[in-house]
Amino acid sequence: MKYLKQFAMLFFCCVIGDILSVIMQGKLPGNVLGLAFLIVMLISGAFKTSQLDSASNFLLQNMSILFIPSCLQIFEIYADIKNEIIPILIICIATTFLTAFSVAVTVHIVYKLQHRQAKEAKHHG
Amino acid sequence: MDKILCSPTFWLCISIFSFSIGQWIQRKTNSPFAQPLILATIMVFLVMYLTDTSLDTYNASGGAFIALFLTPATVSLAVPIYHKLDILKANFLPIIAGTLVGSVVSIVSVFALCKLFGLSESTTMSLLPKSVTTPIGISLSDMFGGIPAITTLSISITGITGTIALPFFLKLIGAKDPVQIGLSIGTASHALGTTRAIELGETEGAMSGLAIGIAGIITAIIVSIIGPFLLAA
Repeated sequence: MKYLKQFAMLFFCCVIGDILSVIMQGKLPGNVLGLAFLIVMLISGAFKTSQLDSASNFLLQNMSILFIPSCLQIFEIYADIKNEIIPILIICIATTFLTAFSVAVTVHIVYKLQHRQAKEAKHHG
Repeated sequence: MDKILCSPTFWLCISIFSFSIGQWIQRKTNSPFAQPLILATIMVFLVMYLTDTSLDTYNASGGAFIALFLTPATVSLAVPIYHKLDILKANFLPIIAGTLVGSVVSIVSVFALCKLFGLSESTTMSLLPKSVTTPIGISLSDMFGGIPAITTLSISITGITGTIALPFFLKLIGAKDPVQIGLSIGTASHALGTTRAIELGETEGAMSGLAIGIAGIITAIIVSIIGPFLLAA
């Protein structure tokens, strides 16, 4: 019964996400809006994590298996994309380093600015 | 025999069994290359090939049931974000600025390189969300005419790269702060990278986990806004 209730709550958030997506004329995917809706519900206290923990942990811990159907599609389209495999590999690897580098630099700059602000505030205080 | 090959229970059984074998291989080898998802996909494909089963038949009998849980799984990401709300509040600016800049850099650099290599429009749209967690990536790819299979593949390559190389790379560029390291790994290489960040330390793991959800939401918003312009470009 616990799992039934918890899954019902998660599916309820999915439906709300889909409704919001329709209202926004499909500009954002329903699953992201459902995720945002659940965060708002948890922060507002309308939902408690204890009402969702078991089902959400089950889904998060076993999430990879849910991608098997979409991964299988690769065998269907392989002939169409085989010339693009090497560029795809290069792009994925190169941009991963670039993304991590940009985050590291940004966090470093934000910390530096925050330290400077704190120092100035202390100085003026 | 045809009845069994069209039965949802048969394909559910094959999928779950293959995934369990994949998890066992990963535990035994402890290698980031031994991804249960990739191993399970190959095993399921082999069974489909040997039984002459099409992807449509697989999806109609079991596959669609598995994929049905993708949306609630994405929604479930709200729970770990909520659990880390205190960390988010305490490091609000670095987290938001870091994940925002990282998401923009990822999208722009992927788009520029796709143009440079002359990749097709559908492949480009498939690769744009390659740094985010798979369920969000797949729906974004699908929304803009991408191919979810390429998105899943690119997300896996990204995750494996992050797991193997990012801790070393970040050390090389002088990143020492645990918040900085965790956010960089989580934003650039989602859940797979997070498994490595957890090994580096508690703060690194928490930050990386938080970055998965935040970067996912930010990327979804950016791609939704600029996607139509990119399609027109």
